[in-house]
Amino acid sequence: MKILVIEDDKTTGAYISDGLREEGHSVDLIPNGSDGLIQASVGQYDILIVDRMLPGIDGVSLVKTLRGTKNRTPVLFLTSLGGVDDRIEGLNAGGDDYLVKPFAFGELSARIAALGRRPQMQDEPSTLNAADLEMNLLTRKVTRAGQPIDLLPREFALLEHLLRRKGRVQTRTMLMEAVWDIHYDPMTNVVDTHISRLRGKVDKPFDKELIETVRGSGYRIEA
Amino acid sequence: MTFPKMRAIWSTPLRLTAILVLIFILSSAVSFATAYFVIRATFDTTLQDEITQKIAVYQAIENQDDLVGRLADDAAATNPELLILQYLPDSGKAISNVRHFPPISGFAIIPERAIDHSKRDISESYLARSVRVGRGQLIVAQTRNQIIEMGEIMLSVVLIGLLPTLLFASVAGAFVARGARRKIKVIQTTLADFTGGQMAARVPVATGDVDDLSDISKAVNTMATSQEALIASMRQVSADIAHDLKTPIQRVAVILDQISEKTELSEGQEVLLARARDETDRIVKTFQSLLQLAQLEGGAVRDRLDPTDLHRVTTDVCEFLEAEAEDQGYTLHLNVSGDGPFTVKGDRQLLSQVIANLIQNALRHTPVGSCIDVSLSRSGNQITLCVADNGPGVPEDERDKVLQRLYRMEKSRTTDGNGLGLSLVSAICALHDAELILSDNHPGLQVQMNFSK
Repeated sequence: MKILVIEDDKTTGAYISDGLREEGHSVDLIPNGSDGLIQASVGQYDILIVDRMLPGIDGVSLVKTLRGTKNRTPVLFLTSLGGVDDRIEGLNAGGDDYLVKPFAFGELSARIAALGRRPQMQDEPSTLNAADLEMNLLTRKVTRAGQPIDLLPREFALLEHLLRRKGRVQTRTMLMEAVWDIHYDPMTNVVDTHISRLRGKVDKPFDKELIETVRGSGYRIEA
Repeated sequence: MTFPKMRAIWSTPLRLTAILVLIFILSSAVSFATAYFVIRATFDTTLQDEITQKIAVYQAIENQDDLVGRLADDAAATNPELLILQYLPDSGKAISNVRHFPPISGFAIIPERAIDHSKRDISESYLARSVRVGRGQLIVAQTRNQIIEMGEIMLSVVLIGLLPTLLFASVAGAFVARGARRKIKVIQTTLADFTGGQMAARVPVATGDVDDLSDISKAVNTMATSQEALIASMRQVSADIAHDLKTPIQRVAVILDQISEKTELSEGQEVLLARARDETDRIVKTFQSLLQLAQLEGGAVRDRLDPTDLHRVTTDVCEFLEAEAEDQGYTLHLNVSGDGPFTVKGDRQLLSQVIANLIQNALRHTPVGSCIDVSLSRSGNQITLCVADNGPGVPEDERDKVLQRLYRMEKSRTTDGNGLGLSLVSAICALHDAELILSDNHPGLQVQMNFSK
């Protein structure tokens, strides 16, 4: 993917662009808001990564201006130690996702993958599959190798979220936001507990593990 | 708690009016009373002189028979309503224009009821003098009607003059008091708004106003302006510090990440690195909490409060954290009593964070195996959310302190956490106008939040 990073801090900027290049993306790095806005309007990018606080034009104004010109490129905001308000302001300005600094690279990478493949409007499937696991969204029944699996509603939602994003890493915060609608740091690794319970039902009685732990990032179900 | 009604009635201007009216009544009463007594004394003296003169006429008659004859004529011709004459000779028939006058000596004031007047009209009160004249005892009593009438006239003058004055003063006072109370009310509201975090709240002052309340209003506004500026600069400073520290911390986190991703490490190095990352994580979280606190106390979030189903929020958080509590060996219970709806004006994320914080606190500060009870109930317009544990609790004298930021009880210094959890709870409660009460759960800590609709 072609990614534009607008970030004034050299270390963070280099960390992001180097990491993304290593993953095979093409990255441009611009260290200030005004040049970033010009570059974002002219270049054809798949994703913009924009820091909230920038010299020149700040991140929020930049994205507002960009959206004003009907530019719909997905935007990931980087916010510094922000509270709920910053997040809302960023998303209201037309950002598609946000990430609070400092972040692990895995988190950034997972969110970029999610933004790059925003689900298109398409026919809602009635079943989701992974290997020998089948989830029927209408009857809300889950089977693996033909055996029925009993899931609690929230476990169902968690598995559904992972199945819908097969092959993509989902970080703990992404899962927390999507499945439990928790947008603050609950200061706990409780997502791991929920995953391990889900694994107990979905993976443990069977040979192959479907839910994979991605070190330093999160969880994934193989495509 | 004093009575709010009484307080409204006893506002300063109204109290001043009442005191002034009272002083006016008292001073009028004193001056009129003085005037009355002086005039009465003068009247009495004049009356005494008249009586003495009348007696002197009789004393001048030397012949006893002439005296008796003159007295009998005078008594018959005199109206007892004005003057009573009574002569009791040592021998012979008594002469009098009333049936009987009580015996007196010297001057005396005799009321109507002491006199036997055989149904003839007489005065209410007399000034009488008894003197020995010739060979008998003479009493001359002159009516005091004038003095009584004068008293009545003066009283009506007082009442006629005083009543409209009092009425006018009271009405005008109440009117002025209402105006002043309105101004005071505005000042009170402004101060309450200001204390509630609305730093832009000011008392409206018309440019022409020159009274003392306007001076106070201006002083309040000046104070508010300087406070606002002070807080703004403090915020700026802390934001600057946070920003300046954030970048290096962020770099450290990035570098630690790169070390673990890009270099081969021995197991011991991995462990140390993981610990270093945990520590940077903690610094970041402390900063995040401090900044969130500043943001909450700034009050800007207030505009974003919407009707939120507290039942739903509580259920979701408990469900989210129950797995962890259970795995760590705790019991987490949610108990909802009473009928809903449990709707409060609030922010879903913040309310969720409050409950999560309190549950985490209980998990952190109670021994394994403890019970954590979350309960939600409603009585009337009040919705109560309660998180209680049966751990060691918080001593009464520390309950206020644990709400202060960065305060940690001596025994919990070794546990995880930054001493901001309960400060955040307190700030979020304040934002939602919810009353926060820490109490003894016998044993354990009970944290109660009362939301009123």
